[in-house]
Amino acid sequence: MKKGLIALMALCLLVGGAMAAMADTVKIGLMGPMTGPWASEGQEMKQVLDLLAADLNAKGGVLGKKVEVIADDDGGDPRTAALAAQRLATQGIVAVIGTYGSSVTEATQNIYNESKILQIANGSTAIRLSEKGLKYFFRTCPRDDEQGRVAVQAIEKLGFKTVAILHDNTTYAKGLADEAKGLLEGKGIKIVFFDALTPGERDYTAILTKLKGANPDVVFFTGYYPEAGLLLRQKKEMNWNVPFIGGDATNNPDLVKIAGKDAAQGFYFLSAPLPKDLPSPEAKAFLDEFTKKYGNAPNSIYAVLAGDGFRVITAAIQATQSTDPDKLADYLHKELKEFAGLTGKIAFNEKGDRVGEVYRVYKVDAEGNFILQP
Amino acid sequence: MEEFFQQLTNGLAVGGIYALIALGYTMVYGVLKLINFAHGDLFTIGSYLGLTLLTSLFLSDRLGPGAGIVVLALMVMGLVALVGALLERVAYRPLRHSPRLSAVVSALGASIFFSNTLMLIYGARFQVYPQGILPKTAIDLFGLYVPLVRVLILGASVVMMIALYAFIQKTKIGTAIRAAAIDQDAARLMGIDVNRVILMVFLIGPALGGAAGLMVGLHYGQINFTMGWVYGLKAFTAAILGGIGNIPGAMVGGILLGVIEALGAAYLSIAWKDAIAFGVLIFILIVRPTGLLGERVAEKV
Repeated sequence: MKKGLIALMALCLLVGGAMAAMADTVKIGLMGPMTGPWASEGQEMKQVLDLLAADLNAKGGVLGKKVEVIADDDGGDPRTAALAAQRLATQGIVAVIGTYGSSVTEATQNIYNESKILQIANGSTAIRLSEKGLKYFFRTCPRDDEQGRVAVQAIEKLGFKTVAILHDNTTYAKGLADEAKGLLEGKGIKIVFFDALTPGERDYTAILTKLKGANPDVVFFTGYYPEAGLLLRQKKEMNWNVPFIGGDATNNPDLVKIAGKDAAQGFYFLSAPLPKDLPSPEAKAFLDEFTKKYGNAPNSIYAVLAGDGFRVITAAIQATQSTDPDKLADYLHKELKEFAGLTGKIAFNEKGDRVGEVYRVYKVDAEGNFILQP
Repeated sequence: MEEFFQQLTNGLAVGGIYALIALGYTMVYGVLKLINFAHGDLFTIGSYLGLTLLTSLFLSDRLGPGAGIVVLALMVMGLVALVGALLERVAYRPLRHSPRLSAVVSALGASIFFSNTLMLIYGARFQVYPQGILPKTAIDLFGLYVPLVRVLILGASVVMMIALYAFIQKTKIGTAIRAAAIDQDAARLMGIDVNRVILMVFLIGPALGGAAGLMVGLHYGQINFTMGWVYGLKAFTAAILGGIGNIPGAMVGGILLGVIEALGAAYLSIAWKDAIAFGVLIFILIVRPTGLLGERVAEKV
């Protein structure tokens, strides 16, 4: 019996070893919110990466090997994310794409950095993520100081004199709110309200009643689209006609569905260009292919930014002919210039931040479409 | 002063919903001494079922908006009650004589099962109720602007709570439920079918939770599969605040919690809203460890 067991184990080892040799692939991790409140973002990230990986493999992969995407779920929650990062870090991945929320990314940065795994975040715009001197951290999305600057510019341009700022205490929303507050005060625009709501609730009338009491010209909400949609809807029910401006996390078509077209009309938000406004031929081809495969165009720009992360890292592996993290990081920091991404030209500075790309201002029209403002 | 009353009405509408959900926690706890952590998800199931029935049966077109919503509510309550009974049969009855912790773990498991099942059926994106089912008029109450829907929500909650209270106090089954809550073995010796009582509790509690889910869907419009967690947590807090196991306590606790939240947000800080609500909970538990109306539990222990 014992002998039989040993023989069986030996067989397992042999077969296992053979399998490992056969399945020699370049592994790219994907950490995204597959479940939880942002699950629609994460699932679209996975769709984009699956599509891009299939395309790349059809053309022969990289370094003569197939690319394998290993996805794990961060649940949109820092604690779940830390566990996901530890799991991913043991699976021999070269790089990880993700994730969406800044506080979620922050919980995983050190895990990846210590394991020498390149991390390319796609939606985490909080400033301090790239101020820690982490060598292997990159992001394809812009930063909140840039976003804050554009927000303040828009508020000035629209002629608002008193501003209420509402955030939700997440790393991202608080960071953007603080950034905007400092800049607005510097311009002599008065902040009449500055506070945070609790995300995930349904009833924000208490907050809106209080906001109304402060009587601002405009409300700048720096949180995410589920809450923004509810705020707009309940504001409309209160018969209060103050304009709202949202940060780039309010950029999701579900915002209009939640708020209703009449309540969403006139809502301004900041964003990197939406998938439909992407100018490059690469983007057009990609959007067509995505629509063909999944039946609809991608809803979220962050899913497309995750795709850019994937394209950048596979291009770097091909260019350096290596999966060595130091070589790849050096290449991305220094040599990658004018890379034709889906969302425009991509290059990284020494902090791993994306350079160049700027935010746009969008406005929701009566039909619920997002219209790029000049 | 106007803002105070405005916030009071805001809080009352939220509190009515907390109270309805809290009843489910408190009834199950009263009879089984089990915190049914899956109750928040039964609430979510109610709002999803409401959406499905609403969009597939066109009730409000066929019966008119008023009757349509009443029929819809009855259907949702019936279906969620069935799910609740099934939950009891599958997840709790086999563990009735196990240590209490096993049943709690089973409840948590059921909660995760329900929310992920909803995600797999309906998808992870937010689902939205069609607009314009409920009237958008508002009542002008001495210069106070109160949307009619909020009054209706609070009214419906209060009617259901009073009906439940009368049912528990006046009917034979209600008496049996109370008896089983005090002492299951003695109740059994008196000829009460305790299994039936427990089934009854798992029909009524989820039905009320389902009704709350439908109301949240109809009023706020946006539902998703995780929303049961926050509402469940708040309702659970409300049940403890009022004295868990005590039915009037759940009503008082729910409404009080809603009002504390609204007024705390208005006069102290929005960001500290939950901290204020839970601070009040801790304070009340220090002064009255059994909750506001929770004397009976103390007698038992």
